[in-house]
This record gives sequence, C-alpha cells and structure tokens, in this order.
Amino acid sequence: MYSDALLTGKDLPLSEALAMGGETTVIGLAIVFGVLVILMIVLMLFKVIFYKDPKKQQKSADTAKPTAAESVPTVAVESEKSDEIPEDELVAILTAAVASSLNTSTYNLRIKSYRRVDGRQNAWNRAGLTETINNRY
Amino acid sequence: MIESFLNFLQNTGAAALFAYGGMEAIKTIVMIIIACVLLYLAIVKKFEPLLLMPIAFGMLLSNLPVLKDSPALMMHTEWFTDTQYMIDGHFIDVGKIVREGGLLDLLYLGVKLGIYPPLIFVGIGAMTDFGPLIANPKSILLGAAAQFGVFFTFVGALVLSALVPSIMFGVKEAASIGIIGGADGPTAIYVTKTLAPALLPAIAVAAYSYMALIPVIQPPIMKLMTRKKDRMIVMEQLRPVSKTEKILFPIIVTIVVALIIPDAVSLVGCLMLGNLLKESGVADRLAKTVQNELMNIVTIFLGVTVGATATASSFLSPQTIGIVVLGLVAFCFSTAGGLLLGDIMCWLTKGKVNPLIGSAGVSAVPMAARVSQQVGQKENPSNFLLMHAMGPNVAGVIGSAVAAGVFLAMFSNI
Repeated sequence: MYSDALLTGKDLPLSEALAMGGETTVIGLAIVFGVLVILMIVLMLFKVIFYKDPKKQQKSADTAKPTAAESVPTVAVESEKSDEIPEDELVAILTAAVASSLNTSTYNLRIKSYRRVDGRQNAWNRAGLTETINNRY
Repeated sequence: MIESFLNFLQNTGAAALFAYGGMEAIKTIVMIIIACVLLYLAIVKKFEPLLLMPIAFGMLLSNLPVLKDSPALMMHTEWFTDTQYMIDGHFIDVGKIVREGGLLDLLYLGVKLGIYPPLIFVGIGAMTDFGPLIANPKSILLGAAAQFGVFFTFVGALVLSALVPSIMFGVKEAASIGIIGGADGPTAIYVTKTLAPALLPAIAVAAYSYMALIPVIQPPIMKLMTRKKDRMIVMEQLRPVSKTEKILFPIIVTIVVALIIPDAVSLVGCLMLGNLLKESGVADRLAKTVQNELMNIVTIFLGVTVGATATASSFLSPQTIGIVVLGLVAFCFSTAGGLLLGDIMCWLTKGKVNPLIGSAGVSAVPMAARVSQQVGQKENPSNFLLMHAMGPNVAGVIGSAVAAGVFLAMFSNI
C-alpha cells in the first residue's frame, strides 16, 4: 500500500512526502475533530437534560403563579441579596478594618461612603486566589 | 592470586572503556556527559524533575562502560530494536529477555508491551477534573485544534527526510515525531514504542523537555497571535456541574471513542477509568492509589527504562537533532492551532471567549492552563482564566490520544 520510500524515508521524493503528509493531515484532523464534535454534542445534551438554570426556574415560578405576582419581586430581591453582608454589618467591618490598619480607635472614624472597586471580587479574595493558584498548579 | 587480580582488573569498567577504544569510548563518554547535563537540568533547574531525573539516570546506567556479553549489562537495547535478535525477525524474544536480560531489560518489557503508558493514564484520569469541560462544551474544540501541530510536524518530518539525505524518516517515524506536538509524554511513548522503537529515547527526552519548557515556549506565541484587547476579556462564570454528569462523562466518552477509533481506547479508556474511580466517590481507596502510589511506581519504571534505551548508537545521530528541532516545531504549531481557533471563537461570540485559553489545548495538564492564566493576568490582574483554560486542557488529553489512535490505526499494520 505504501511505497518503500515512504516506509523507510530513503530517497523519498518531496512530492510524495507532501502528498502523503497532506492526505494524513486532512484525514487525521477530520477524525480528531469528528470525535470531539460528537463529544461536544453529548455535553450540550448534558446541559439540556441535567442542568436547570436557577434564573429560568425563577421565571417559570413567576409565570406559574400569576396571582402571587405581587409578592414574588420582594422575595427575588431578598434572595439575590442573601449572600451579601447587610449594610450596617459591612460598615462595622470596614470601620474595624480601617481602625486596625491605622492603629486607632473605631470612635475616631466615620465611614461616609464605600464603593466596591471591582465588580466581582475584592482585593483580599483576589490575592488569596492568586496565591492558591500559584501554589497548587 | 596475581592471576585472579588481573582477571578482576580486566572486568572493571575502566578496562572496558579502554577495550572499546577510539570512537566508541568517546561516544560513551559523551553519553555520560549528556546524562549528567540532564540530571543537572532536573535537579538544579527543576525541569520536570519527577520524570527527567529517572530518564537521565537510566541513560547513565545503560551507558556505563561494561564489557560486551557481561552479565552486569542492565539493558540490551538491540534485543528490542534489532530484527536479528527477534523471532521471525518481527516479534521480540521474551523468553531470551527473561532468561538472560538485566534488570532494565525486564522493566522495559512494560514499555515494549504497552503497559506503563495506559497505567499512567489511569492515574492522570484520577487527578483530572472534567467539570470545566462539561460546563463549557465548546472548549473541547480547542483541544482538537491544538492537535494541528501533530499533523503539521508529521508533514515536516517527511519533508525533512526528503530534503536531508542523512536523515531518514518513514511514515512511522514521522508519526512518532509528530505526536510530540500532543504535549503528552505517555501518549508519545505509546505511539513510538509501537511505530518506531528505535527513536523512543530521543522522542521521550524531547517530549518531556519541551513540556517542561511550556512556560517559555508558549507566551511569545500567545502574544503574537492575540490582540491586547482580546487578552483582557473576562469570561462568564462556568455553570455548576452535577455529580451525575461527572459520572456519566467518562463512561460515554469511552463508548464513543471505541465506536469511532478503537486504537485510542487503551489510552482514553484508562484515562476514563481513573476519572470514574474518582468521580463515582465510592472507590476512594482505589482513586487514591492510582493517582499516588501506582502512578509514582510506574513513572519510575517508565522513566528509567526509557532513559536506558538511549545508547550512543541510537542517540548520537543526525536523526536526534532532527527530532529535537521537529519537536519544537510541533509544540509551536499546536499552540498556534489552539490560539487560531481561540481567535475565531472570540470573533464569533463577539468577545465572550478569551482567545488565550486556546493555547491550553495542548494537553500538558495543568502547565498549559497555568500559562493561559498567567498571560491573561498580566493584561488584566483581576482576570482568572485558569478554570476556563482547564476545559481545553483536558480536552487536549483526549484529542492527542485520538490523534495517537489515528496514527496507530493507519500505520501499525504496515
């Protein structure tokens, strides 16, 4: 099936090398992509079958109970905020942190306003995560 | 008494070195120096020390000057590569190896019979989390694109063979060299021991050395092939993946791969076995054993014996230089292939995909993903790409095992 030159590499003509290489590349990449595309489709089915989007669940609850529509928004707001710290506690924590780093008493400080610098993460979380990643991987 | 003393002197390694004489003695000394340089790289520079150290020491062991036919010889590479020692000129003579072989001959049977690489894959499977891949199925394509280097290098090896008269690579050798681009040591060894056993030491050393050099090789290519704006993209958080999905995934992958390319099953199947042991949660003891003790034991055997095949006659040739150059080409083009598809996906999704995760499609887990993370974080310190890059990274392991299966299916029976 293959010529001696292709098998041993001895006196291999360039044209034959390129033809064989091109053919194998096309077939090989097609098979690799084929297998992985099938797996991708399987994984997409996984999402359809097993995964229920919490936001969509919320929506379907909305539509399923139109009579209770008035009470739903308040619940939604509460559940959204439930993983955040209540504002008065947050102010207390911030005051304590500033006081501790400035070596002064909390009575000398008043937090007028606060603002999260980065939408998702604070500097402490970020530093911790970076350190963990660098240690582990 | 003097006679027995002289007899002892004749059997020393130093006497053997003199008996070799001339060129052969120089080659032996060069090989010992190479082994020592590799040991230096492993111990002082910490280049993949867990692998490079056994490989380098194996190289040292099999190149020590010992008289021919001495029972002290630990490794007889020619029994595995030279057809004149084989039964019918085709099959290795296991009986002879068991009767007369040294320690390394016996351990090398595990490589030659294709036992060690799949066992290592069981361990890798037990350490791999396919969660990021299941959460973002599209990233599996990046693992396929990063196999481009494998096939490009296959062409490159054949072209080199056509252009340089002193280098002769047939299709089998070219396939074994190409698979270096999969950036996966066990896969490269598995393919090479079947298709081109004589090239095993050079290919193993090249594959593992370049894997250690990934943090040096990849970043310049990544910067060249992506725009600063795209490198700063923060990707959406991955969805949570349920336990059911994680358990079903290895089972389904094994069946799908077997249906399409059975030659890849010994690698992919073992990878998935290890993963199932971990994800099922009911076989913790086995999962811990395969990812620690078993993997470590096999790594020692594999490293030492692969290193031991690097004898002067097989290693000190123009072909080795060709393999070292082509291995680098393979790594670069695999990285480029992944990045190219990363760019395309970035463009198609209108900036939802950070193209840097494409380079993680080469399967060196988790080094390639970590490089994506580091390069991404340089542009945008609050960006964490690691988990997004782990998807293509583990897909790359499956991809290179499939590419290996393609080569084995095409060339192992000719």
